[in-house]
Amino acid sequence: MLLTINNMNVRYGKTTALNITTPIRIEAGDRIGVIGSNGAGKTTLIKSLLGITHYTGSVESTIAPTDMAVHMQFNEYTNSMAVKHIMEAILQTKIRKNEKLKELIAYFEFEPCLNKKYKTLSGGQKQRFTIILVMMQDAPLTFYDEVTSGLDFETRQKLVEKLVSWYANKENGLCVVSHYYEELEQLTNKLLILDQGKVVDFGDKDELFKKYCGRALIVIENNEKNQQLVAAYKMLSAPGHLIALACETQEVETEITEKLIKNNVNYKRSNNDIEMTFINAKSKAASGGKDHEEK
Amino acid sequence: MKKSKNKVSIGMIVYELRNVAGNPFVHIFGVGFPILLSIIISKAVSSEMMESSYLSEVITTIFLGIGAVIPLATILMGYSSTCSQDIEKEIPLRMQLFGFSEKYTIINRLLAEFIYMTLAFLVYFIVGVNVLDLTAPTPSGAVIYIVCIYVFAAILFIMAHGIANLVKKFGLTYMISMLIYFGMMILSGMMGITTDQLPKGLKIIAKLLPSTYLNGDFYSVWVGEKYNYVPMIQSYIFFFAIGGILIFVIIHRIKRKL
Repeated sequence: MLLTINNMNVRYGKTTALNITTPIRIEAGDRIGVIGSNGAGKTTLIKSLLGITHYTGSVESTIAPTDMAVHMQFNEYTNSMAVKHIMEAILQTKIRKNEKLKELIAYFEFEPCLNKKYKTLSGGQKQRFTIILVMMQDAPLTFYDEVTSGLDFETRQKLVEKLVSWYANKENGLCVVSHYYEELEQLTNKLLILDQGKVVDFGDKDELFKKYCGRALIVIENNEKNQQLVAAYKMLSAPGHLIALACETQEVETEITEKLIKNNVNYKRSNNDIEMTFINAKSKAASGGKDHEEK
Repeated sequence: MKKSKNKVSIGMIVYELRNVAGNPFVHIFGVGFPILLSIIISKAVSSEMMESSYLSEVITTIFLGIGAVIPLATILMGYSSTCSQDIEKEIPLRMQLFGFSEKYTIINRLLAEFIYMTLAFLVYFIVGVNVLDLTAPTPSGAVIYIVCIYVFAAILFIMAHGIANLVKKFGLTYMISMLIYFGMMILSGMMGITTDQLPKGLKIIAKLLPSTYLNGDFYSVWVGEKYNYVPMIQSYIFFFAIGGILIFVIIHRIKRKL
C-alpha cells in the first residue's frame, strides 16, 4: 500500500472543494486516472496529498509527500539561464556524467532545447522539460496534472506515446489527471471519478465500465431515424450528439449490430470506454443510484 | 543513493548566482552606477578642492559612502525583484515540489547574493584604487568596513525577502524597493544634499539609516581614528527590527492561510 485516504475535507473559505468520505487505497504500481469536470476537486486532491493545500481528515501513507513527484498543470522556471543549468541544479547532477538523464533527454528529443531559456521553449518542449525532471525523481508515486493541456493533437499524441512506453515495464505508481479520455485509456488501469468535490466511484477501469455501462456498448449518431430504430433497447447516458446502447448479453449485441448493419447505420462498439463510464457514473450518482434510462 | 537536496550546495549556489547575474539591472545599478557616481562626484569635488590637504579624505569618504549603494542595488533591489518574479510564477513552490526546502533555498540565495556583491565590490575597489586618490585603510578599519557592509547586506536581504513575500507582485515590489533605494541614497547624503542640510524630521529618519553612517562617518573608522559606534549600531538594530517584523508577518500570514 502506498497510501490510503481515509477521509479528506478541503475548504476554500466557505466552499467545500473536496470531501472524501469513503477510503481510497492506492497500491504500489497503480496507474490511476483522475477524472471529473472543472471544479471537481482533481487538482485539490493532488495538492492535498502533496501537502501544499491544507486539509482535515486522515491519510495513511508509506511515503512522505516530499518523496512524491508531480508535474503540475503550470510549471514555471527562471528565465535567467539556459534550461540545462536549471536541469542540472534541480537534479544535482551534470548531464554529461548522468547516463539516465542523457537517455531521458534523448528519449524526449530534448537535446536541441538544452541551451535555450525556458520562455523560448514551445508548449510541448516546456512539458517535456518538466516530465524529464519528474521522471528523474523516480518516485514511487508520480502525479501528472493535465500534462498535455494546451498542446496540439500531434504533440499530445507523441507525448503520451512516450509516457506510455517509458512506464510500460516500470513499477512506479501514477496518478494522471486529464480531460482527454484516450490518454487515460493508454496510461491507467484504475479510475477515480470525482464530481463537485465528491468521489463518485473508484476502482478498476474495466470493472467500473461493467458496473456503469454493462458488458459492452454500441454508440451511434443521435438522430430521429436512429432513435426510432433502437427505441426498444436499453440506452445509456451519452453526449447529446450520440446514442449509447448497453449490450448486456452477446445476443443483445448481435441483435443490435445486425439491425444497424441492415439499416446501414454506422456504429462504434466498445467494452472499455472511459468517457461513457464517467458520464454514466456521474449520471447514476446524480439520480441517486438509479439507472439513467431503462426501456 | 538519492542525493539530499536539503543542504547548502555548490550546485545550487551557482544556480542562484546565475539567477542574480541574469538580472541586468543588478549590473547597471549595483556595479556601473556606483563606479560612475563615485568617479563623477570625486572629480567634481577634486576640481573645487585641488590644493586642499583634505582632498584624499573627502574622496575616500565619498567612495566609501557610495559603496553602500552596492548592497542596496544588488540585494535590496536585485533580490527583491528576482524573488517577487519567482513568487509570481510560483517557482518557489515548484522547487519545493522537487524536494528543495525553503530554508536551504534562502541560505543558498543569501550566499549567492553575497558572492555577487563581493565581486561587485572587487570591481568597485579595483576601479577606485586605479582612478581615484584614496587613502589606504588601517587593517582594523578595513575589517570593520567589510563587517558593516556584510551585516548591512544581510539585513537588506531579510527586508528584500520580506517585501517580496508580502507583496508577491513584481511591479509593486520593484516600486517599493526603488523608493527605499533612492530614499536611502538621498537621506544618507549620497545625492549631493548632506544629512545636516535636511529638515529636522528627515534628519531623524536619516539617523536611523545605516547607510548614513557608512556614507558620512566611515572615513574615521577607515583610518583607525576614534569613533562613537553607538548611533551606527542603533541604526543597524533598527533596520534589523524592521526586517524581523517583516519576516514575522510573513510567517504569521502563512500560518493563517493554513
